[in-house]
Amino acid sequence: MKECHIADNPLPDNQSSIILAGNPNVGKSVIFQHLTGHYVTVSNYPGTTVDITTGTMEVGGKSYQVIDTPGTLSLIPRSEDERVTRDVIMSHIPWCIIQVGDCKNPRRTLDLTLQLLEMGHPLILVLNMGDEAQERGIIPNPKALSEILRIPVIPTVAVTGQGIPALKKLLVNPYVPCTSCFYSPDIEQAIKNISSLLPETLASKRRISVKLLSGDASVKSLFPDVFTQSLSLNIDQIVDALQEHYSRPLDLILMEERLEHVESLTNKTWTFPHHKTTTWNDTLSRWTLHPFWGMVTALMVLYLMYLFVGSFAAGTLVDFFENTLFGKYITPFVTYWVKHLVPGEFIQQLLVGEYGLFTMAITYALGLILPIVTAFFLFFGILEDSGYLPRLAVTMDRIFRKMGLNGKAVLPMVLGLGCDTMATLTTRILETKKERVITTILLTLAIPCSAQLGVILGMLGGISGWGTLIWLFILISSMILVGYLSSRILPGENSSFILEIPPFRMPQISNLLIKTLVRLEWYLKEAVPMFALATFLLFILHWFGILENIERLSEPLVSSLLGLPKETAEAFLIGFLRRDYGAAGLYNIAQKGLMTHKQILVSLVTITLFVPCVAQFLVNIKERGLKAALYISLFVLIFAFMAGGLLNLLLTWLPIPL
Amino acid sequence: MKTNPNPNNNENPSDNDIKNLYSEHRFEHRIDHGLCLIWHELERGNTQADPIKEKMIEAIDTRVFDELTRSGLILEENNLLEFTETGKTIAADIVRRRRLAERLFEDVLEIPKGEVESRANEFEHLIDRHVEESICILLGHPRECPHGFAIPPGKCCADKEDQLESIVASLDHFEPGESGRVTYIITRNHPQLHKLMSLGIVPGTLIHVHQVYPSFVIKVEETQLALEQKVAENIYLRRL
Ligand SMILES: Nc1nc2c(ncn2[C@@H]2O[C@H](COP(=O)(O)OP(=O)(O)O)[C@@H](O)[C@H]2O)c(=O)[nH]1
Ligand SMILES: [Zn+2]
Ligand SMILES: [Zn+2]
Ligand SMILES: [Zn+2]
Ligand SMILES: [Zn+2]
Ligand SMILES: [Zn+2]
Ligand SMILES: [Zn+2]
Repeated sequence: MKECHIADNPLPDNQSSIILAGNPNVGKSVIFQHLTGHYVTVSNYPGTTVDITTGTMEVGGKSYQVIDTPGTLSLIPRSEDERVTRDVIMSHIPWCIIQVGDCKNPRRTLDLTLQLLEMGHPLILVLNMGDEAQERGIIPNPKALSEILRIPVIPTVAVTGQGIPALKKLLVNPYVPCTSCFYSPDIEQAIKNISSLLPETLASKRRISVKLLSGDASVKSLFPDVFTQSLSLNIDQIVDALQEHYSRPLDLILMEERLEHVESLTNKTWTFPHHKTTTWNDTLSRWTLHPFWGMVTALMVLYLMYLFVGSFAAGTLVDFFENTLFGKYITPFVTYWVKHLVPGEFIQQLLVGEYGLFTMAITYALGLILPIVTAFFLFFGILEDSGYLPRLAVTMDRIFRKMGLNGKAVLPMVLGLGCDTMATLTTRILETKKERVITTILLTLAIPCSAQLGVILGMLGGISGWGTLIWLFILISSMILVGYLSSRILPGENSSFILEIPPFRMPQISNLLIKTLVRLEWYLKEAVPMFALATFLLFILHWFGILENIERLSEPLVSSLLGLPKETAEAFLIGFLRRDYGAAGLYNIAQKGLMTHKQILVSLVTITLFVPCVAQFLVNIKERGLKAALYISLFVLIFAFMAGGLLNLLLTWLPIPL
Repeated sequence: MKTNPNPNNNENPSDNDIKNLYSEHRFEHRIDHGLCLIWHELERGNTQADPIKEKMIEAIDTRVFDELTRSGLILEENNLLEFTETGKTIAADIVRRRRLAERLFEDVLEIPKGEVESRANEFEHLIDRHVEESICILLGHPRECPHGFAIPPGKCCADKEDQLESIVASLDHFEPGESGRVTYIITRNHPQLHKLMSLGIVPGTLIHVHQVYPSFVIKVEETQLALEQKVAENIYLRRL
């Protein structure tokens, strides 16, 4: 380390936030829970914590806001979530930054540490995953590291809480670390020169200078009033003058020098085993990544998911909930009391009639959807926490590539089987805009959510196996076709597939349950009001006899194009509010024996591909913008009817036994 | 991110550092250097004839430019400079040899960075076609010189079958179970390079290859990473 201006400054004590930062998947969320006692979705898929989570904690009698940031590899952002982290870190003056690192991966951890150190804020380095490191014979020396970096370094095992009390104690009295200057003299000089141009009031001048040298002009937009034209010009001069000394871009030079420093730090403070031991974890990992067995595993996992969600939850559980619990006990009970206590035909019908809020909406939400969705989220949670999803991403990478995506899109796609709205939100983990748009289109078009799937599979069970095959074939080929075409038509770039594969971990039951509950709560909040609204709308339309008019108006579309009975118009109408509710409407019609097998298949294909539900449409607007959301919906609507119409024609001509 | 801040300032140090060396060379060598210089300017989009002429006078001598024009290797039109067909072939050849030499010195012979320039400058003339091919194979058909400029591909690069004999090869030529140390990463795709570097893939890193299909799965430090083929092609490793 070269000349080091020691600056253990006392802190101005008005800062009241504590920022958690770190590489993806190092245990930040678990530490966050320990600090705040609050729940946050913890998972094993790099980049799941997309939204910033905040909580509060008490330190020395004062209350602090704890901010959990999305995992990041460097403070020069590449994806949207990394940008979020950068912005949080650059624009706050925190009480303290806690960097959580995986002590199995010192180089990556220390690379970020050095960048955070440049911020000039108090920093505590937490070396987590101590248990996994020990298993592999990797031993860090926190004391030595602490002495070299001049910041507190604490080893922890977050899942058992080991080391957390020590961390809490340190938060009482954080101090600003000394900045280590490890770049070459000419670079250090340029950093100094730029820093001296920046106003006194600006925090982390060194970091900003380094970023400017790296050609990351985006910091300028964080402080628009500081970077006047003349200041920018002066800075550019310094940058250009330095660049002349080097043949390659400065940001690479800076990064290389930093990583050299990291290397020497690692060698001084970490011990690695001489012989690698192969654990059961490694063996299992090989299997799931294997070109053939990986595919087999993927199919098995999907089949297990079908058994658990489709067969057990949507079959056995729903049967019990809907027919026994609601059908035999709750509904008759409520109906009885409503008829006796509530005056007036209108209100009685509104509550418990054919389109009653209770008989239709509540029964549907709690009796049908709740068991299915709960089962799905539980299963998905296990997939996530065990670390299987990144492996699935590797297996699916080549297939997704045909659709202009890469393996990373597995997370939103699989989550979409639970709830497309939630899945659309997680498209933020994808690195380019093009990939996010394609994923949104595919989610909107071809990924039925679990509620809808439950109903659809139930109906498909009633017709021959050919029906299911045709339905599946149309869905998958639509997805590949539309994905392929959009990857050709849409402008923009694809990102390259570079994905970290964490070791398999045993999901923690408590974490799994809390996570499922949080997702369920989110889901019900999204869905139940929509059910109620849809039912109310239907009721009104029915009561005032408008429904018949709509059915008549949509006759050419529904009857001529799709060849369906006119009652199905009602289901499609509800489908605008919730696709799954629309499917449930079809289910009822089919139950009444109003549809042939052919008609059932056509209606199912159409409703599966149908427009996004209102919530998803709103999220599409939020994430992609109004225009894109409208185009996507319009496209999907037309596509759904075309596909349904085409299938109707084909089935009329082809003798397929349904 | 600013990839190439002001290309005019981003000079290859060779332009200045070897200035003195150039003048001591035999005339044929100076012709070669002249072609090299023009190639380097053109590949960075500097096509104005006058500045190139000035540079050449400063770096080599006054006669080379005229000699190149006279022997029909370059063309000047509306003050824009370009190679003729023959000129281009010859220039690609000499640039290729020079950059291969740079790679050889840096990756295999591990000559200190400061000396690479001057040594390559002399060595390039000694390489005949056969040696050139051997070096290219040895280095795993590199696509970039240490300064990040493209190496014109030769005949051997089209079929990459022979990478088994090479010391350095790109990751996509490794088999499961093999290991290598990173010698360099192709720098043209900037964001990708950043990501790889922050994941710890930098020159010197030890990489174990676990699997090559459907994706490349490698182990760096204690982390498993999955990479697609295109990324693997950009990482050059020295076999262990
Ligand atoms: N064995 C072990 N696992 C841990 C430890 N800390 C966290 N985990 C697990 O690592 C996974 C990722 O943790 P998470 O908090 O989501 O990481 P984040 O992405 O940094 O927020 C979860 O499955 C945790 O249960 C630890 O100290 N030891
Ligand atoms: Zn939903
Ligand atoms: Zn860059
Ligand atoms: Zn010579
Ligand atoms: Zn020479
Ligand atoms: Zn070069
Ligand atoms: Zn070659």
